[in-house]
Amino acid sequence: MKRKILSVLLAGAMTFSLAACGGSGDSGSGDDAAAEGGAGEGENTLTVMAWDPAFNIPALEAAAADYKENVNEDFELEILEQAASEDVERAVTTAASAGDYSNLPDMVLFQDHYIQRYVSDYPDAWTALGDIDINWDDFAAEKLDYSTIDGEHYGVPVDNGTVVCAYRTDLLEEAGYTIDDLTGCTWDKFMEIGKAVYDKTGKALLCMNADGNDLPYMMMQAEGVSQFKDGKPYITENETLVEIVEKLVQMAKDGTLLMPNSWSDYTDKAIQGDQVAGVMNGNWIIPTIEKVEANSGKWEITSMPTLEGGEGYASNGGSSLYITSNCHNVDLAKDFLAYTFGGSTETYDNALRDGGVISTYAPAGETEVYQEGVEYFNNQPIYADIVEMGTNVQIVEQSDYHYSARNYVGTAIVNIINGADTMEALQEAEDQLNFEMGN
Amino acid sequence: MTEKKNISMIQRRLIPTYIFLIIVSFFSVFPFYWMISAATNTSFDVAQGKITIGGHLIENFNNLIANYDLWRAMGNSFVYAIVQVVLAILICSLAGFGFELYHDKGKDLVFSILLLAMMIPQVATMIPLFRLLSSAHLLNSVWGFILPSISTPFLIMMFRQNSRNFPVDTMEAARIDGLNEIQIFFRMYMPMMKSTYAAAAVITFMNAWNSYLWPKVIMTQPEAQTMPMLIANMSSGYTTDYGMLMVGVLFCSVPTMIVFFVLQKQFAEGITGAVK
Amino acid sequence: MKEKKKMSLLAKQSAAGWVFLTPATILIAIMAFWPMVQAFIMSLQTGSSANLQWNDPIFNNYTRMFSDKVFMTSVGNTFLYLIIQVPIMLVLAILLAQLLNNQHLRFKGFFRTCVFLPCATALVSYALIFKSLFATDGLINAILVNLGILEQNYNFLGHPTSAKAVIILALIWRWTGYNMVFYLAGLQNIEYSVYEAAKIDGANGWQTFWRITVPLLRPTIVMTFIMSINGTLQLFDESVNLTNGGPSNSTITMSHYIYNNTFGTGGVSNFGYATAMCFFVFILVAILAFINMKVGDTRD
Repeated sequence: MKRKILSVLLAGAMTFSLAACGGSGDSGSGDDAAAEGGAGEGENTLTVMAWDPAFNIPALEAAAADYKENVNEDFELEILEQAASEDVERAVTTAASAGDYSNLPDMVLFQDHYIQRYVSDYPDAWTALGDIDINWDDFAAEKLDYSTIDGEHYGVPVDNGTVVCAYRTDLLEEAGYTIDDLTGCTWDKFMEIGKAVYDKTGKALLCMNADGNDLPYMMMQAEGVSQFKDGKPYITENETLVEIVEKLVQMAKDGTLLMPNSWSDYTDKAIQGDQVAGVMNGNWIIPTIEKVEANSGKWEITSMPTLEGGEGYASNGGSSLYITSNCHNVDLAKDFLAYTFGGSTETYDNALRDGGVISTYAPAGETEVYQEGVEYFNNQPIYADIVEMGTNVQIVEQSDYHYSARNYVGTAIVNIINGADTMEALQEAEDQLNFEMGN
Repeated sequence: MTEKKNISMIQRRLIPTYIFLIIVSFFSVFPFYWMISAATNTSFDVAQGKITIGGHLIENFNNLIANYDLWRAMGNSFVYAIVQVVLAILICSLAGFGFELYHDKGKDLVFSILLLAMMIPQVATMIPLFRLLSSAHLLNSVWGFILPSISTPFLIMMFRQNSRNFPVDTMEAARIDGLNEIQIFFRMYMPMMKSTYAAAAVITFMNAWNSYLWPKVIMTQPEAQTMPMLIANMSSGYTTDYGMLMVGVLFCSVPTMIVFFVLQKQFAEGITGAVK
Repeated sequence: MKEKKKMSLLAKQSAAGWVFLTPATILIAIMAFWPMVQAFIMSLQTGSSANLQWNDPIFNNYTRMFSDKVFMTSVGNTFLYLIIQVPIMLVLAILLAQLLNNQHLRFKGFFRTCVFLPCATALVSYALIFKSLFATDGLINAILVNLGILEQNYNFLGHPTSAKAVIILALIWRWTGYNMVFYLAGLQNIEYSVYEAAKIDGANGWQTFWRITVPLLRPTIVMTFIMSINGTLQLFDESVNLTNGGPSNSTITMSHYIYNNTFGTGGVSNFGYATAMCFFVFILVAILAFINMKVGDTRD
């Protein structure tokens, strides 16, 4: 009996491997219940890839509910949850590399900084929005700058990456300052306050994960400067960048800048572990700050310091929705996007309530939900403030090599803190970046 | 009397061994204990480094069930892993048997060529493999998952190496008794190599169960998601609920442990008896 | 006449052998060699992976990697892991297997399970555990400070040397038990009477170990060596999950860097270049494995 089972198995395996060898491994033998292809089946169904169950997925659910209730009661949005934005990128890369887009969903949520490269590298993966019914003037110009390629709109903005500087007012007070002292101040003043806060309370006013490197980028954007100039790396000759790097290194030595090893240490140990008196990052960091319930009412937010003084604005992170070339119902997708993220305050109100997703759609900032004071932030109407700040963010030169540049500059900063010479380390970063770009 | 004395003397001489093994066991088990304790604490406590058992296990479990389709991912992982184990040990043991007990120059050459495949970094072949399997419409299926790893040079090598202990004389005797080659394989080789099969099954199960990068590339539908993918989904995003994550990790770790635990006895006992 | 019949019988047996190894061989050819050939073609190309162009000069990707500082760092890191971790791990594994193979030892199953446990734990938890243990405010720091070995808490994962040491420790922790299983299985194939005979001949434990155990385990040792070399040269998970290659690329491995180039994580994907680096790894592994087999295999 045993032998019989085994020989049946063996025979099965053999036929199977032969079938696969012919390259004709028909779907009939292998496929289980899983649907063929990524695109939705029904007339009224759309599929979308997104990645954060606590953040952008509730926003998509809010949009789907809105559209279902007010436009099309048969509408279904199937959300394909991924582990990270990286996975969405990988799905597109893999599909494009294999020349087979048939497994992509109808829409993908995509990070702003990456999209330009993905459109130029894989033009066949996307569907331009063309005549979609959206008034683009309602959105922050800086945000649209990413998703517009050669004058053609490809994406509909979802969340907002506007940088907030959140401070613990109680700790500032202990050191003899208020949040107004930090609004529009110079970085030198910031460092002075930071030292005072550190001496008094032992907490750092600024924090950056050592492998993250987004802080220098934000600081530069607030100055209106990029790591690139005319498509070339702009590092050693970029006096603003050099000055910012020197300030960061100084702050790290003073104890004003806390540098946890990784992103998870940054969110879980530094912020949730209550080791900081200030947080400077894209506003999506707010839910993390709010995890420490004991500090409710002690935080407030404001804009960034700048080198010469005056309020600085920057944007970090943020994503938009894109229609893929595999979309089986482009009209439905366009209509859905135009109705929801393209202009429904109801979608945005619920996205904010359920996921903490803040819009770059200016009219959304005027609704009651946005105007409400937030208890955690001492009843400051932070959401309206953030939408307002978002309109002030300057457009700086972008590059496909944005993240590479950030990585090399970040590496240089760590090396300088560990004793390397500033200009030598930055020169190495520039060389490595030029190498990668093939210059 | 002397027997007893003898035993206690032997045991006494083994004391350093016991001490050493206890230390090694402690280091090996401690992280596992940490995992269990984390599963019973709130995310906040875990991030704070609490290592004592807490009272939030049920709460974490309920959170997990409410937010993720745990059972489907477990089911998928089981199906993929079991199909892979059955096919892999069958096909690789056949090959190991063929390479060792019928070895000649030609087969040895083929074997050395096959060994080269072990050295190919996985990332290199991922995109071409994806292209191959997607044109065969095998994405999101168990076959897409297992095909690249059914036949591995490593398992073949393992069976081939261990076949060296297989008594060739009995094979001759069996032939004289009228058994053909296939019968020899199923009736003699398989029962005698029980221990190797057990080890191969454990290893294959672990690899299949824990594989992460490949399923991520090939399983584009949430219905086809595996346990490691589910856990990765839980540990990403802007904030992580560690308590809930660790309950998931526990569910992900237990099957490999059970498989090992069940099969280790079989191969420990099976061996001495089988190759006599 | 009789001779002829014997020949045909041998031929028949040889043919049976070929049939046995065919399914496995065909599968490997399709699932490993064919993609490898395609990857090699890509390694001579450049551009986005949807639109690859031939390189000019054709081996540009191969010559390029030698002036890539990050890649060279990753090669150095990987070899450091290899040279330190593999010997320690394998010696420890043989030692444990030898101890656990003792007839008189009690609670064998318990110890065996304990030692094996680490490689049954899921990767995510393993990375989290080590990160947490070696965190600046983690348990290891607490212990070392209390014992007076350290004056103040040390950021193990934030400094190049200690971060490498943590990766090596983590690797040893996770994979020793795995290798031990192979040795144990090999040892149990050695009949006990061989040891009895040695004892009668007056050999002590050390001598039996070197004269009997090691030679009889040789095939297993060769196998685990090749496996470990191969695994270490392709090391990926630990570098990604424990340190993310940091601080400042001081712990990044070759596979990690290749992966970053393949999918453009933290940079721009350059598939042709990534596959060229893969072939560099492939050649390294092949050379080391070949040497290993020549040294270890005395059968032929």
